[in-house]
Amino acid sequence: MEDTIVIENLSKYYGKFLALDNLSLKVPAKENIGLLGPNGAGKSTTLKILCGLIQPSSGKAYIDGIDVVAQPEKALTRIGAIIETPEFYSYLTPEDTLTYFGKLRGMKGEMLKKRIKEVIELVKLEKWSKVKIEKFSRGMKQRLGLAQSLLHDPAVLILDEPSLGLDPRGVVEFREIIKGVGKEKTLFFASHQLVEVAQICSRVAIINNGQLLAYDSIADLEKKYQTLEQAYLTLTGGSIA
Amino acid sequence: MRNQLEKLGIVIEYEFLKHIRRKRLWVILGIALLVELLALILVPTLLTGGYPKSVMIMASILTVGPSLAAIGAVFFAGDAIAGEFESKTGFLLFTNPIKRVVLWTGKYLAGLIAVSLLIIFTYIIIAISLVVIYHEVPVQILGSFGLCLLYAAAVLSLTFLFSAVSKGSMGATVMTLLFIWVISGIVESVLGMTGNPYWFMISAGGDSITLPYGSIADLISGMGLQEGHMGNMMGGFAPLSIAMAVWGMLIYLVGCLMASVWISRRRQLA
Repeated sequence: MEDTIVIENLSKYYGKFLALDNLSLKVPAKENIGLLGPNGAGKSTTLKILCGLIQPSSGKAYIDGIDVVAQPEKALTRIGAIIETPEFYSYLTPEDTLTYFGKLRGMKGEMLKKRIKEVIELVKLEKWSKVKIEKFSRGMKQRLGLAQSLLHDPAVLILDEPSLGLDPRGVVEFREIIKGVGKEKTLFFASHQLVEVAQICSRVAIINNGQLLAYDSIADLEKKYQTLEQAYLTLTGGSIA
Repeated sequence: MRNQLEKLGIVIEYEFLKHIRRKRLWVILGIALLVELLALILVPTLLTGGYPKSVMIMASILTVGPSLAAIGAVFFAGDAIAGEFESKTGFLLFTNPIKRVVLWTGKYLAGLIAVSLLIIFTYIIIAISLVVIYHEVPVQILGSFGLCLLYAAAVLSLTFLFSAVSKGSMGATVMTLLFIWVISGIVESVLGMTGNPYWFMISAGGDSITLPYGSIADLISGMGLQEGHMGNMMGGFAPLSIAMAVWGMLIYLVGCLMASVWISRRRQLA
């Protein structure tokens, strides 16, 4: 199967701190891949490079064969993303925000209106669609973040801790939405929630100190380490016992 | 190219919406109008003989309102770049397929439109006041208006530069105000009083807004202040020409805008 996301020898320094150390990884089309690792492992750095938010110190990254460093705007047309906890312009409503971002992505007219209605319904924000975001809770912003990432029906979804800040019901609803859309999209998904990752993803990449420690199917990791949790703990610094 | 222009238009539309919906535009407008009102009330009270005889002198005095409105550009642009990084809205905005240069240009133009509207409004107030008091509006008001717009554009560029290098919006705003009002003002005064050229200071651009109505010396003498301390202080000042002030403001406008775009294109949202 063709690889949608290709990461080749990616390194990133923040000053003298090495956040990514020659990371290489390939995500096949329409697969759901979880990116696991402790805080500071390099998960967010990897996703930010893929989204053109930061530049790598060395190495290459491609989305659908497009170099994200050389042609970030072209690569971003393929991506829908939530990076960290999304913060929106407080003076806009969800409808305004989605119209703004939709127009920047070349959507317009009735098609844009229809799609905004669909994604707002999907994340259950219908009652809040005309309310200024300044009144929104963190969980509601997270929902709106998912709506904007799906607005243009991208082939690739890049999500960084997407359920952070949601209440338990929100987490379940969010997971179901992601599972649903993930069937037709390539999903690259960073999370600390192993249960969530196990339910959404077929394979996981475990990284620490910017290096890839394992990249395997969840089933194979469970065979090797008994549970995904045990695999994670062993690979990232020994089990807690 | 057409695609980029469309995106530029979209950014301008939503950035302008921001200025309209936030309170600061209306606060600046309120302050500018209050200052105009104070000038209209205080000038005949403080000057012997009521309003100055010359319409040019009164028009000069009333430029205090639009000058303040032009400084309002600092409050529109302080968070234009730094705010996207500080409040992390950039995590959403920058993941859209738009060139950063288009984004920053759109923000600049939206700020310029907002501040221009404020300036236009204050000049309309000036024109109405002059018609009521003197039954005439000097044609030189157009020159003053043009210089005020240019000054606002230069101030906006300078603020963009501080916004591009600052971590936070507040820092960018305070640094720009300090630079314009304190640093540039002091350096201009020192240069002026020692007979040196000072046209390249941004504060000189602000001073130039009254020049179409006459020199600063004319303004001082028209207000009957030539024999006092103010007149003595200004005596040594080398006259500022409109042409040189325009050059100075153009340098700030182009130089600071280009530098701010160059810096912010390289800025990363870590």
